[in-house]
This record gives sequence, C-alpha cells and structure tokens, in this order.
Amino acid sequence: MTGAVRKKSSVSYAGFDLKFAGAQFVGLLSGALYWPEHETLLVADLHLEKMSSFAKSRQFLPPYDTGATIKLLADDIAATGARRVISLGDSFHRDEGTTTLSVQDADALAQLTQTTEWIWIAGNHDPAAHELGGNCCESVALDGIVLSHEPDAKVTNQIAGHLHPAAHVRMNGRSIRRACFVSDETRLIMPAFGVSTGSLNILNSAFDGVLDRNNLMIAVIGREQIYPIAKRHLIGR
Amino acid sequence: MRKSTSTRQTIPPNDADLFAHAWGLPDVVRDWFVAKNWAPRQHQLDMLEADRSGKSALLIAPTGAGKTLAGFLPSIADLAVDQFDGMHTLYISPLKALAVDVARNLMDPIADMGLDIRVETRTGDTPSSRRQRQRFDPPNILMTTPEQLALMLSHKEAPKLFGSLKRVVLDELHALALSKRGDLLALGLARLGTLCPDLRISALSATVAKPEMLREWIGTPKPEREVAFVTNTGGADPEVEILASDDRVPWAGHSAQYAVPELLEIIKQNGTTLLFVNTRSQAELLFQSLWELNEDGLAIALHHGSLDVEQRRKVEAAMVAGKLQAVVCTSTLDLGIDWGDVDLVVQIGAPKGSSRLLQRIGRSNHRLDEPSRALLVPANRFEVLECEAAKEAVKERAQDSEDPQPGGLDVLAQHILGMACSAPFNAVQLYDEIICAWPYRDLEWEQFERVVDFVATGGYALCAYERFARLRKTEDDTWRIAHPKIAQQYRMNVGTIVEEPMLKVRLVRSRGQKRGATTGPIGRGGRVLGEIEEYFISQLSPGDTFIFGGEIVAFEAIKDTEAYVSRAVAKNPKIPSYMGGKFPLSTYLAERVRKTLATPKLWQAMPDQVSDWLRLQRDVSTLPGEESLLVETFPKADKYFMVCYPFEGRLAHQTLGMLLTKRLERDRAKPLGFVASEYALAIWCATDIGAQFKRGRLSLDELFDEDMLGDDLETWLDESSLMQRTFRNCAIISGLIERRYPGQEKSGRQITMSSDLIYNVLYEHEPDHILMQATRRDASRGLLDIERLGTCLKRIRRHIIHKDLERISPLAVPVMLEIGKEPIFGEGRESVLAEAAEDLLREASGKK
Repeated sequence: MTGAVRKKSSVSYAGFDLKFAGAQFVGLLSGALYWPEHETLLVADLHLEKMSSFAKSRQFLPPYDTGATIKLLADDIAATGARRVISLGDSFHRDEGTTTLSVQDADALAQLTQTTEWIWIAGNHDPAAHELGGNCCESVALDGIVLSHEPDAKVTNQIAGHLHPAAHVRMNGRSIRRACFVSDETRLIMPAFGVSTGSLNILNSAFDGVLDRNNLMIAVIGREQIYPIAKRHLIGR
Repeated sequence: MRKSTSTRQTIPPNDADLFAHAWGLPDVVRDWFVAKNWAPRQHQLDMLEADRSGKSALLIAPTGAGKTLAGFLPSIADLAVDQFDGMHTLYISPLKALAVDVARNLMDPIADMGLDIRVETRTGDTPSSRRQRQRFDPPNILMTTPEQLALMLSHKEAPKLFGSLKRVVLDELHALALSKRGDLLALGLARLGTLCPDLRISALSATVAKPEMLREWIGTPKPEREVAFVTNTGGADPEVEILASDDRVPWAGHSAQYAVPELLEIIKQNGTTLLFVNTRSQAELLFQSLWELNEDGLAIALHHGSLDVEQRRKVEAAMVAGKLQAVVCTSTLDLGIDWGDVDLVVQIGAPKGSSRLLQRIGRSNHRLDEPSRALLVPANRFEVLECEAAKEAVKERAQDSEDPQPGGLDVLAQHILGMACSAPFNAVQLYDEIICAWPYRDLEWEQFERVVDFVATGGYALCAYERFARLRKTEDDTWRIAHPKIAQQYRMNVGTIVEEPMLKVRLVRSRGQKRGATTGPIGRGGRVLGEIEEYFISQLSPGDTFIFGGEIVAFEAIKDTEAYVSRAVAKNPKIPSYMGGKFPLSTYLAERVRKTLATPKLWQAMPDQVSDWLRLQRDVSTLPGEESLLVETFPKADKYFMVCYPFEGRLAHQTLGMLLTKRLERDRAKPLGFVASEYALAIWCATDIGAQFKRGRLSLDELFDEDMLGDDLETWLDESSLMQRTFRNCAIISGLIERRYPGQEKSGRQITMSSDLIYNVLYEHEPDHILMQATRRDASRGLLDIERLGTCLKRIRRHIIHKDLERISPLAVPVMLEIGKEPIFGEGRESVLAEAAEDLLREASGKK
C-alpha cells in the first residue's frame, strides 16, 4: 500500500492510490476499494437492515440506514463506472434481512444488481445464499488475490472485511478516531461500508495474528481526503 | 429533626403548659415536646395548620431551621390520634442517602412517643424482597426517591397502594424542580393527584429567587387545593470573607495553588473545614498540593463522585466521628446529610452562583442562631471580582434565578410507557392528567400524540415497525402494552440520570519503570481506586501519567471494563485532566461583575493588585460597560487578535466563538482559532481584523448580529459532537435505546458509538423526529447555552465599543494565557490527520 494522494482532476472521483499484491487499487472516501483494471468495486460489511433488526427486541431505531447505504453504493458505482461489484460479506446484518427490505429499498437494490455484475460473498452475519440478484459464494479469487469475508492467516494475498478497522490517531496532544484501510505485505482489511456500522481499533487484540504489527500500512479516511498514517501515532485499543 | 438541637426553643418551665395548649398537638406529641423542654417553632405549627385546613404547603427555610420536623409534624399528629392502615405519607428526596438518614432521625422521636407508626425506606439499595412486600403491605410513612415513585406507579397495584395516601413531603425541592428528575417527579405527582383524593403536598426548599414558581409547581397536581406559603427567613447572617493573600493572585488558572500554604494554616486553626471545589480534577489537584506541604500531618481527606463508594463511606464515617480536620470535596457534599460539625466552609475558585454558594455555606454550622462561616479563595484575578460580587449577593441573600423550561419530551415518553405498564390508558384522560404536571402544563395535544406514537412504534414517518409495536390501541380506545416483557424492559430503564460511560480504575504493579516497556506481566488484583470517564482514558497511551485519587498514576492498559494504572514516579502528570469549570457563571453574578467593573468606586474593596490592574486597563483601553460589549483588537506574534468580554460563561462563549469564526471565514478575515474563558473570548486571524473594523470593511454590529443564532447555528450544530452526546441522553431516557448495566455484553463505548450512528441517520433522514426536537431543545439550553447567548446579543445590540490597540490590554491577559491550556477550537479536528500524514511523508522523504 503506497501513498500519493490521487489528484481529483485525473479521474471523476476522489480517491487514494493503494498498491497491494502487485495490483493497483483506489481507496474511496466511502470506504469502498476500486480496482480499475477489472472495473470492479469492492465493498465490505454493508450490514443492511441493521437498525430494523433491533425492532424484534422493541428498540425502534430509525429505519433509514439501508436506503442510505444503498444510495452511497449507487453513488460510488456511478462515479467510478464500475461494471462489477463484489460485496465481501456481512452485506446483511442477519440472514432475515434479505426478506425484511422495504419495497423502496428492494427496488433500489434490484436496480443496481440488474445493471451491474454482482457477487455476494457470504459473511458470518449472512451465511445463507439468497435470490436478490447476482451470485452468492464463499469467496472469489481474481488475479491471484483472494477476496473473502474473514481474514485468514493461512491465506496470502487476501483482501477481507469483517473487522471494521479504525485508527485512533494522536498528534500534538489532540486525537481523532476514523475508519481506515489497513494492510501488511500479505493482507488488506477494508473498513466497513454500511452507515450503521461501528468500528474496531486496529490495535485491538482481534487484529493479532491477522496482520504483521511491525509492517502496517494505514490509510485513514477523513472527511475530504484519505491520509497515510504511521503506526506510532496510533493510540487506544 | 435532622439535628435535634435545631428545633430547640427552650421555654420557661412554668409557662410550659400554658404554651403547650396553644400548639394544638395531640397529647402524646405535646408531652414529648414538653418533656424535652422544647417548643415547636412557628413555621412548624404553620405547616400543621395548613395541613389541617386541607392545604398543600411550601416551606422555605434555611438549613438548620428544623425543616424536616416541619414536614413530618402534620403526619405524626395525624397518625398519633388514629390507627392508620396503609400508606399515609410519602417522602421524596433527591438523594437516597438523605432518605435513609431522615428515616433514621424520624424513627427516634416516634419511638420516644411510643407511637405505633411504621417508617420504611425504599431506594435502589433496598433488597428486592422488601420492595416486593412494600407493594402489597406498605408502611405508614415511606421514604423514597423520584425514580422509585415512578417504578411503584408502573405496577398495577398502584391505585390500591396509593389510594389511602394523605400527604407527600418533597425534600430539597429547589434542587429537583427544574431538572429532568423534577420532570419525572412532577409526572408522578400528577398521577398521584388522580389516584389519591385526599392528597396534600408539602415541599421543603432552601431560599430561592422565585418562590411563587415552586408554589405553582406544587399546586398544579391538585388544582382545587390552595398552597400555603410558609417561611422562616430567620437565622444569623453568614460571615463571608475573601482570602487576602500576601501572594500575587495569578492572572489565570483555576487551581489556587498560590494559596495552599495559607489554606493549611487556616485548616490548622479551625475544627473541621470543608474545602469545596468545582470539578473533580480541581479536587485532585488541590488535595495533592495540600499534602505536599502538610508537614504537620493534618488529617485531610478527599471526597468526590468518582471515588470508590467504599472509600467515600470511609471518609464520611471519619467525618462524623470528628476524626478529620479537612475534606476536599465537590458538589457531592452540596446537599443533604449532616456529616458532623463543620466549622468553616472554604470555596476554592469562584462560586459561579450565589445560590450554590449559600447552599455550600449552609454546610457549616447547622445551628440556626449562630452564623455560618465561609472563606472564598479566588483562583485568578477575574475570580476576585466574582468573589466580591458573590459576597455582596450573600449579604443580601440574593438568589440566582433559573428560568424554567418545558418538561422534557424524553421523560414524557418514559412516563407514558410506565403508565401503560400499570394499566391500559385512554389518551385523552392521560393527557388531561399530564398537563397537571407543572413542567407540562403547556404541552400541546399534537405533541403528546407524537410522543405516544414514538412510544408505540418509534414515531417514524416511515411506519416500519407496526408489527413490533410496544403499545397497541384496542377496540375500547385504550392503549395497552403488547407484551408483559415490555413492563420488565421499562423497569430496567427507569430514571433520568444517564452516566457517562465509565471505567473502573485499578491499581496494579507496573510492567517496569522503563518507559515503553511492553513485555512482562501486568500485576493483577490491586485495589480499585474509583471510576473515570472512558473518553479520557481512550486518549491515553501506555505510560502516560495523570492524577487520580490524590496520586500520580501511569496508564498501563485496558482490560475488559477496567483501566489498569500503576504508581508513577513522575513529579508532574503528563496529561492534565482539567476540564474547565463545571458550572457556568450565573447570569445574576455576571451582571454584578459587569457592574463592579463599570463602577470604579467599588474597586476600593479589592486587593491593590486587582484595583491597579483595572486602573491600568482604564488608562490604556477602556472598561466593559454594564450593558455594552467591549471588543479589543491588537496584533501579537504575526497574528491579529480580537478579544471580547461578554461575561456569559465558557459554554456561551464557546458557542459564540464557533459562530463568529464561521462568519469571519465567510468575510474572508481568515480566522485561525479561538479560546473561550468564563469571562472573555479571544479569536485570532491571519488578517488585520482591527483595521478592517476601522475601515468599515467589516461591521461589528453585523458580526455580532443575533441572526447568527439562526442558520449559522443550524449548520454548526450538524457537525457538533455535543448534539450527539445530548441525543444519547434523550435516546436512553426516552427508551429508544436501552441502558446497559455492568456485565452486559456491550461496553459504554459501543453505546456512544451506536447512538452517534443513530443520530446521524436520523438527522439525515428525519430531522423533525420528536427525539430530534427533544435533543435540540436540550442542547440549545444545556450544553451550548444558546438562550443565554441570545439574551446577551440582544443586550449589546448597537452597544459595541471597539478599541483598536497597539498591544495586548491588561484585561486581555487572562484569556490570552488560556491559549495552550484550553482546547483550541476553530481548526477542523481533522487537521490532526493532516499533521500526522505530513509527518509520515517527511519521514519517507528522509527529512526527519
């Protein structure tokens, strides 16, 4: 993962150039990763229908997250001109989510899956296959890069999601916490894309064994730009 | 009765009988007074009289006037005559410890009189078996809290339990009435008004600025009953002094370090001294500096809300036993219980409001006829002015007035669910009852309906949750809960106090003194020092030192819900935990401070260093007027400063700073940052802002125009994390998200995160949602002090005085010194990321 800030003028979307496993990617402010060579947009952890899943226990959270996430996804597809979308698992907060979509949200999603090649990778939240358009599978390999939901220490050249990485950055006595892309030589972990998702500090023990702590590359997503950050500025757990 | 000495009014023995007949007390009660050689005070008899003539009553009296006996005398008189079945009197206090203490003090005389009156307490600490029993077999007098009342009212036995109730006694009502707990209490009283035909409400309060308002507050639940107004304003005037230090009073700061040697001397000369400070971290700092110089080994203890409960109890017990010479404390000791004889109250730092000061002074010497003694210790020069103003206010017994706000919609949502848990309700009937709660007297039906809808299904324009509804409307037009589980859920979430997510602080053995050592085991099983805000800990790296529990500790790690710390060898903590003043300067004192500044005659009373300072300011610039606003501009170190002096408190100044910076940005004056203090606001720009005012390129009147509270405020609020915090409180109180208890799967941090996400989604998609309305109302009032800022902007309209100076003015020095100590606003927080990224690039290009 290397880091010159991509100039807005050269393409129609703002992004951050990432090199991983010999391939060239562009990290987007939404948390998606665009692979220009394959005109493929990678997203992880959409967690659609998360807010509504609390209604069962009678906590009535605003039922607008699904629509908002789909809208962001549509915007990224339009901006990059991606022909293919690969969703790296936990696309739905739970399997039932595929059946609770409102008519409006289901239509918006169908619009996307019908016009784009779509691959749903199974996640721990949504292991079951479904009929919402596109193909459901366990994992995909493209140019020798394995795309799956959970990071697996035994696999090299892997892009995964699942962990919702975030960096808590401290500099000159002030600090800020934001979602980030994080990678080492063999693995890249994507931030969660869904608007209702929380995040986990990359110093947390959940990242132990998944990434080589001494060889981290971190790209933190700001409001208008993505910033490469050194590990020594990280705090928290 | 809280202290029996306070009711003593010795009467000549011969006349005892003569007087005693005039009291109108039952024999057994009268005999008790006579045997003690006491006579009831007039206000105690007035309370009795009011109750007998079927009136509610408000008693306003200072500490030590025998208020508690006044509250209970009517109940004892009633219960002494006839055997009574069921609950006769319900006593409600803001503190559970106070409820327990009052119960204990009431049981003694009842036993002395040989009366068969059952007195019990019910708080969160009461075993559930007893709470269960109390629902079916209540005592005659029950001592409890607003939260417990809400809980009892949510059971279906409530009508039977409270049907016999004759009296409610509300203690320390001034501390409750205008808060969200007060809203909850008012709603509970409105329900009692329906359930209890004979109800009389007696309230006890310290002196307040607007007693008429409290009287109405008590009156609305039973509109047909008159509310008698009983006062006892007697008592000796408190003696208040301001520390006249030989040392220089510092320009800025809050810790009053300069006064520590003198404070030790004062502690030595007095019996028990209470030293009040305004924040926990100030308490920590003062406690530590006192002990550094405490060569005589004076017994000085520390008491604040974050300390471990057990440790606090130990301090309290030692105080009651008279073993302590001084206690450094925060507002945790403001209210309530007697901790023994206190000879002197010391207020460190400005008192911020005269009512709070009077309350704190009342902690010393509970005997009414002797004066309480207090010493004010200003921590900086502005605070000298504030202390003078406060001293004058105490002399006049002038109170701050707090403006009431309409009852919280989040509290209303909680109450509506509670009422549904007790029995199905008809919406019109419940509405009619709710507007009998004073804070909700102006509630509109449409708003009430929206809250009911919120409780039932979330109240979203997109009706997504009908099939999961908590409340369903049935054919007979009543709303009922959809499942018994909902009542359990309600009971877990009752109350209006939402804690910051906290972590336990546990003292462990260090990994080793070497900084940055990350190997080696962290010792386990050390003692718990107390609790600390999670957001504070999340800023730390292992090895960072800070003060906690009176010592310097080093942060080691977070394990589960605990922060591990070790003893540190550092002399000074690396991370200051000072978070500014907790209480804003009251409007009332602010007015007085402005007046003092504008009236040179009043400066004579002040220490020379302060009056010299003001004179110098008059000579080189000018002084802020009583009604006008002084704005100074001057260059300093390649930057151009604008300092103004509204005296409206840090919160209002911060909000003003945010809004002015936005406007200056739009006007291309290139603002770089700002810092706010309690008294002033300093903004710095890259362009010569003074010259722009003079040349008319910028207009001060336009800059400070009230319309900044319109659109500018809205856009700023979008980005403000204060709104998210407020939202979290409203979401928890209203039952949108559940409270978490220790041991439950989620840590506090995750609640904060998820409520932020909920806020963002709701803000984006349904900004008019009822909970967003509730949040906006709370935020504009509490965290941002927007109302106060609005009043200020109105006041100064076309009264802005501009002084363009060549250099910094004397009055500007204190706020300029805050730069670097206080968080600076105005730069996007994301600049942190840009700086860190630059740092990495520098490293990559080998320049570092």
